[in-house]
Amino acid sequence: MSAGSLPSDSQVRDPGYPTPSENYLTNSKGILSWVFTLDHKRIGVMYLVGVTLAFAIAGLLALLIRLHLFQPDGFVFKGEEANNWYNQVFTLHGAIMVFLFIIPSVPAALGNFLVPVMLGAKDVAFPRLNLCSFYLWVFGALFFVSALCASGLDTGWTFYTPYSTTTNSSVILATSGAFILGFSSIFTGLNFIVTINTMRPPGMTWFRMPLFLWATYATSIIQVLATPVLGITLLLLIAERTMKIGIFDPEYNGDPVTFQHFFWFYSHPAVYIMILPAFGIISDLISVHSHKRIFGYRFIAYSSIAIALLGFLVWGHHMFTAGMSSLTTIIFSALTFTVSVPSAIKVFNWLATMYKGSISLTTPMCYALSFIFLFTIGGLTGLHLGTLATDMHLHDTYFVVAHFHYVMVGGTLVAFLGGVFHWWPKMFGKMYSEFGGRLSAALVFAGFNLTFLPQFVLGSRGMPRRYATYDPEFAFLHQMSTFGSMLLGFGLLVALIVLVKSLRSGKRAPANPWGGATLEWQCTSPPPFYNFERAPSVGDPYDFSDLEWDAEDERYVKVEPKREIVPEEKPEATPVHADDSN
Amino acid sequence: MFAKMNNVFSLLGDQFSGSEWFPQQASTFAKENDDLFFAITWLCVLFFVPIAGCLFYFALKYKKPKGAKAESNTAHNTPLELAWSILPSFFLVAMFVYGAQSYLNRRTVPDGANEVGLRAQMWNWQLDYGNGVINPELHILVDEPTKLAMRSTDVIHSVFIPAFRAKKDVVPGRYNYMWFEADVASEKVSDETLASAVKENGSDEWDYDKWQFTPDGYKFFDLYCTEYCGKNHSIMQSVVVVHETEDDLNAWIKKVSKRPDDGSVSPAEWGKKLYNQRGCKGCHSLDGSKRVGPSFKESYGNMRQLTNGDSVKADAEYIRNSILEPKKQIVAGYQPVMPSYKGQLSEDDIASITAFLETVSDYGRKVGAEDEGGSTTEEPTEKE
Repeated sequence: MSAGSLPSDSQVRDPGYPTPSENYLTNSKGILSWVFTLDHKRIGVMYLVGVTLAFAIAGLLALLIRLHLFQPDGFVFKGEEANNWYNQVFTLHGAIMVFLFIIPSVPAALGNFLVPVMLGAKDVAFPRLNLCSFYLWVFGALFFVSALCASGLDTGWTFYTPYSTTTNSSVILATSGAFILGFSSIFTGLNFIVTINTMRPPGMTWFRMPLFLWATYATSIIQVLATPVLGITLLLLIAERTMKIGIFDPEYNGDPVTFQHFFWFYSHPAVYIMILPAFGIISDLISVHSHKRIFGYRFIAYSSIAIALLGFLVWGHHMFTAGMSSLTTIIFSALTFTVSVPSAIKVFNWLATMYKGSISLTTPMCYALSFIFLFTIGGLTGLHLGTLATDMHLHDTYFVVAHFHYVMVGGTLVAFLGGVFHWWPKMFGKMYSEFGGRLSAALVFAGFNLTFLPQFVLGSRGMPRRYATYDPEFAFLHQMSTFGSMLLGFGLLVALIVLVKSLRSGKRAPANPWGGATLEWQCTSPPPFYNFERAPSVGDPYDFSDLEWDAEDERYVKVEPKREIVPEEKPEATPVHADDSN
Repeated sequence: MFAKMNNVFSLLGDQFSGSEWFPQQASTFAKENDDLFFAITWLCVLFFVPIAGCLFYFALKYKKPKGAKAESNTAHNTPLELAWSILPSFFLVAMFVYGAQSYLNRRTVPDGANEVGLRAQMWNWQLDYGNGVINPELHILVDEPTKLAMRSTDVIHSVFIPAFRAKKDVVPGRYNYMWFEADVASEKVSDETLASAVKENGSDEWDYDKWQFTPDGYKFFDLYCTEYCGKNHSIMQSVVVVHETEDDLNAWIKKVSKRPDDGSVSPAEWGKKLYNQRGCKGCHSLDGSKRVGPSFKESYGNMRQLTNGDSVKADAEYIRNSILEPKKQIVAGYQPVMPSYKGQLSEDDIASITAFLETVSDYGRKVGAEDEGGSTTEEPTEKE
């Protein structure tokens, strides 16, 4: 059978298009229908708008940082307060990116939209809790912005004591914001755990779940178990600042390193809150756009859980130089190496999935390829930092900055963009310009590498991080990095324009534009407000054999052999034995 | 097995000698560190090139028009998957063991190491050479282990000497230590170069970045703070000078220990030097701008409004008290954050600082004129 032609002797199954009264975007109107909505899809869209705004703000701050570092003495901020400005800008960049963008980006924005649809369910288990978690996110965000407007924040996103207990900037406002955001994160995680445990349709066993759900499940476990520790830590920090309870501040018999233990006990697992959902997206993207069964499903699923659990045991590697005992340091180094194995497994499995596939180089696939390339660099450079001897040189230098940006931006952000491009037709029922999308992927890839590859060399040459000014010998590499950041910013702008333009003038999207086999492709694009009229039949999420490309309507459809009534021959009017007249 | 690995690592490392990846190797840790770094980097390349190669090769080789079916649908291959899960672990174990051994070596101070005290405060370093000799530069001996006993008086700082590949946080409320053995001595620039630089630099604070040698004519290695410590974190830098002989080191220590007896340096000049070197400058400006502490401009001889409501004249006695017991008399609008300099400045040093403050205050010259001083000093109290 040649590509693009449907077999004539078969039946096509396709849900068609939603009517405006079914479409979840248009079924009810007015601002209040959004403000008080309990529809997980609308909440997902609101999250998407929110995290995009947060990303835009923090991204502009990042450009400001890079621009300032264009010259050794500082290019943007001048005068007596220049360093103060720089410190506030990098603090806000980090804090907004981490708490307002990366942590909620995939789980809250994409997860909210996708989890129930992928399960063939009508909504999450607790729709009101879901809306509540969105509003908590909004309030937390407002607290953060008010900290910015009040008296700035200059502690770094890590709030290390005793600096954070002595500085005049608005630490309490900002930590209250992070505290509220933590609850938003816990509620989302709790909701997903219950939803996935109790609302899977008949036939969807644990090992027939799409891998995105596995990743979301593992993420939710971390959110529920680790975030309370952050909450406690931030409350203790506020208590230390206001009441001098003497836990973190050495002036009152506290120990600042205790704060680091508390803080990283949350914040290292939080790194996996950021990257695990990205793994889930990439597993689905690679499989769908290679039109091939995912390779090693169980290994990928188990490795998500392994990362979630091992992630709780490695926080000490942020503190190798802080003054822990040698024994503790060495144990943390050993544990750190173990967590690299499950990540490596995933990369190998993705490559094996592409092998002998039928690859369509669509925009989401371009982002997925970019992810594997960049995340592998990010992961491998972690080995230099996990090795104790080399970490003594590289700790707190630009090498670390480059390493975690390769994981967080090259990893999570690129996967998030890939996911948004992949599910955009499903979310808004519009196709975007493939050329524009692929162009943005190429620009982001090039700009990102130009920004952060030089920073590895800066770091190994000894450039410390969080410096507002630096020695002239580092200038050339910093300038390369600044040019790269502008290219990266431009690439992201192109991606935004492509998507927004599609809303106005994009072609109507079919139910299944990519040939995905998971349940969300079995309802219309965009889905009706009730998702599925009746619970869909659950198949293998990675079986692409009965999906055919319909070139005429530019869509993938499920084909089935024509259904006929058997047996075909009609029974004769008179029984055979009627002739037996003897 | 791991002893052999050591050779392999160093063999790999040699491929990169003279590369642009690292600053100069100037301690016994440096070569070991760089060899290990490059060994790991080569291993990463070994993994990365096939991964990236397969990625792009597969993407092009198996690119097919829409609707084409995959050539294979293999769901899994357990032996293969176990192989790629387990085999890389051997490399990980090697990295861990080698890194941990090297780390333990760095945490075990050899007997008889020379000890230098280090005190970090926002935003300068104070190296204590004993007998009350304190200077912001770190001076050590070549080919002899040096131990730094480190403490901080305010927030967390971190000592980082890239040329030595050594780093350790300085945490308030505890003593942290680190050690290293420099194996490259600092060169000295010629006397003419030094003399012309000193002349051109004048009495301003010495510009290390511009001259690339210390005011005593030594080339140096950078010492950075690598733990974010507030506003001027990025200028919390110092230099390390490695002396070839003990005599040379002792001569330098003697030179910086106190104001020369021969009167070649006036108290005000010495006071300015102390102002620049001993951490006054970070918090007290000379141009009237408000920093962590009050500016020294027009400070000497002026009236000071205190937090407890009193006002007091900033005379020599007040300045002396403020240096030795800084938390007693706090000027209104400021926090009691200055550390005490008791035992760290000699009486001559304090007198020199007072003399220097006199030169930056117009009231300084009028101290003797009682009536005029009185009339100006009433102003702040009246505002109350």
